Amino acid sequence: MPSNRVVVIGAGPTGLEAARLAAELGSPVTLIEKKDVPGGMPIHADYAALTHHFRDASEAMAEMIDAVTSNDLIDIRTGTEVTAVDGEAGAFTVGLAANGSSESVDAGAIILATGFQHFDPGRETQQYQYYELPDVVTIADAEKMIKSGSFVTPSTGKTPERVAFIQCVGSRDRQIGNEYCSKVCCGISSKQAIEIRQMVPDARVFIFYIDMRMYGYWENEIYWPAQEEHKVNYIKGIITEILPKGGRLVVRGEDTTMGRPMEVEMDVVILAVGMEPSEGTTAMSGILNLPTNKYGFVETAHDILDTVTTTVPGIFAAGAAVGPADLDDSIASAGAAAAKAVSLIRSAGVPV
Amino acid sequence: MGRDVSPKVDPSAVMEHETYELEGVDISGHWNRMFEQRVIFDYDVAQLDRVTDLAGGESMGWCYQCSQCIGVCPVDHVGDYGPRKIFRKLQVGMDFFQSDDLWLCTTCGNCLRVCPKEVDMLKIMPAARKEAVLEGHVPAELQDVFEKTARYGNPLGKNPKRRVAWTKGLDVEVPIIADLDRKVDVLWWVSDYPSYHPRGMEASRSLARVLTKLGIDFAILGAEERHDGDSMLRAGEEGLFEMLAEQNIETLNKYEFDVLLTTDPHAFNAFLHEYPQRGGTYNVMHYSRFLADRIDDLGLSEEVLGTVTFHDPCYLGRQNGEYDAPRDLIEALPGAEFVEMWRNKENGYCCGGGGGGMWLDGKAAEHQTMRLSEKRVIEAVETGADTLCVVCPYEVSRFEDAVKSTNNDGALEVRDISELLAAAMGLPTD
Repeated sequence: MPSNRVVVIGAGPTGLEAARLAAELGSPVTLIEKKDVPGGMPIHADYAALTHHFRDASEAMAEMIDAVTSNDLIDIRTGTEVTAVDGEAGAFTVGLAANGSSESVDAGAIILATGFQHFDPGRETQQYQYYELPDVVTIADAEKMIKSGSFVTPSTGKTPERVAFIQCVGSRDRQIGNEYCSKVCCGISSKQAIEIRQMVPDARVFIFYIDMRMYGYWENEIYWPAQEEHKVNYIKGIITEILPKGGRLVVRGEDTTMGRPMEVEMDVVILAVGMEPSEGTTAMSGILNLPTNKYGFVETAHDILDTVTTTVPGIFAAGAAVGPADLDDSIASAGAAAAKAVSLIRSAGVPV
Repeated sequence: MGRDVSPKVDPSAVMEHETYELEGVDISGHWNRMFEQRVIFDYDVAQLDRVTDLAGGESMGWCYQCSQCIGVCPVDHVGDYGPRKIFRKLQVGMDFFQSDDLWLCTTCGNCLRVCPKEVDMLKIMPAARKEAVLEGHVPAELQDVFEKTARYGNPLGKNPKRRVAWTKGLDVEVPIIADLDRKVDVLWWVSDYPSYHPRGMEASRSLARVLTKLGIDFAILGAEERHDGDSMLRAGEEGLFEMLAEQNIETLNKYEFDVLLTTDPHAFNAFLHEYPQRGGTYNVMHYSRFLADRIDDLGLSEEVLGTVTFHDPCYLGRQNGEYDAPRDLIEALPGAEFVEMWRNKENGYCCGGGGGGMWLDGKAAEHQTMRLSEKRVIEAVETGADTLCVVCPYEVSRFEDAVKSTNNDGALEVRDISELLAAAMGLPTD
């Protein structure tokens, strides 16, 4: 059945923004979220402050969620999964399942906003012993600690004296298969380094990197203040291995700009894990018959000049479902997807 | 008896050496690092904090290792040095205040020119050296100069009464302002090397003749003049600088004059940037600018044959933006051909004399394959020039020594612009 409805799959920042804008443009929207609460990764992974403006993540997400729940044109379905999609542009039928019951919704266009998941460093990069050493954590783990208001050495519960970040874990790696840069980890690590220095002023924080990728304003808003005001130490050269020694962790690698091996004790090591396609992105690309690239992210049809149109007419993808993206990128692509979805419905002659 | 396998080298005692002799064999060079502890076992960043906590030292912590500074650091051209490297050594725990790295910088400012993060060695070095001076970690040769300057008012340790010796027997009159008891148009701040050093004295005599020929109403302070203090400040002796500045301002404020004419770019820099905040504000001009403004009145008629190249003093050029005046004067010399050196103007290569370097040749020699002045003289010779023109009194002696030590005696003459102008004006130049 032809429909003027837009179905948005995924209620993270991208999906929330796409739903809000499509409704503002006049389309009824069904926003589908597999989890029981909307908000996506910032909520489910307990983000503390958003990169790059340090805005409280819960507060920012509450604002986005309010904008959606307060709009009568938006029907938000949490705890709901998409099981099937039939039809064509202007007249899709989307099968939904929730609490053991199923139904279908008509849609003129579909926006996929199923996002990413954090790389699991225990799975591939065994040299860091993420599963074995309690004081080796990821930036996702660190974010939870920062949000809890207490940053400690996990094994002892004590305040750490030295904290090291290791960049590019699970990214830029041919052996792992994730050859891309995950874009946000340098900024998030630096943001967390600032937060740790503020929470534990006596702790020394080190960031071991290949190259710091602080594009645009992240350079002056995060990287420079981290180094200049918060005295975070950036050292070029990635740690090769982490070894437990006397209750602490010894990180071993090369200090490349000194041209010397280094072997320094740390209390906590934070792995700056990158992005991979989420389970939702993988599952939905199958159901929607969307081609993915070799990394599993959804491929868009027109490359850099149109980042949201997929190869299937009427289906758009936005945010980190398409590839590594920061919040700014995700919000921008959500807007583009909403505009294109509503535009398609209008051009099909369905009154909006 | 087995052979003696006890270590010849105590590993704990042997660190990184730029020059090292082992059992009579010179093993200088990077490969001697095999004898040192290479592994970094700690990042004692407290040493970096000690520097960045200093007023003026803050920007030492801003380095992001782009390494543009190293490309232009004059010391790295003849050694292993520069802001990027200092930053890393501090992160690895170097005690800057007891390190030779504290004394190799000439504050030439070329690193700051290219630094995207504005890591400012012109502020960092004086601030850190001041701490070392307070802690008593000063190279002996520099300490000697501090003491001479405090005692005699000049770094050469000469008798203040002999400041006017260069005017004796001169064919033109060089009045002392105290004797004139009236306002003069130009008070000439002669400075120490032009007053005491034999080659400096020759340049001063030439400048006196040039000023006289121009009909300038000028006078000097004579025995009342003291060291301007600028290089003492860059070398970390802030107390000495303050004392000199106070005495000099007191002296200068006794007299009336329109222009304070300096021979020395370092004095020019001090009068321009340091003295005003301490109550001494003057219409200060470097003699190259003063003469360039009167180029048509100089009456340059005699041919000065040959090819002339020019060395930019850091404290005239890069620090204070004056590149044209000396060049205009050289270009106006009849018969002379002007050629630029490879590195010139904003990228001029330092002579090694600034920031206390004038009195740290011994310390520099421990870490450099050659003096900066020698490197510069080689560049000057490479241009094909037979004359190296200078406008800074630190340079005549530095470069003349370098001409000899690089075996270029007879190939290159070092001349102050005053001497070249005097010759072109048909005046004596001895």
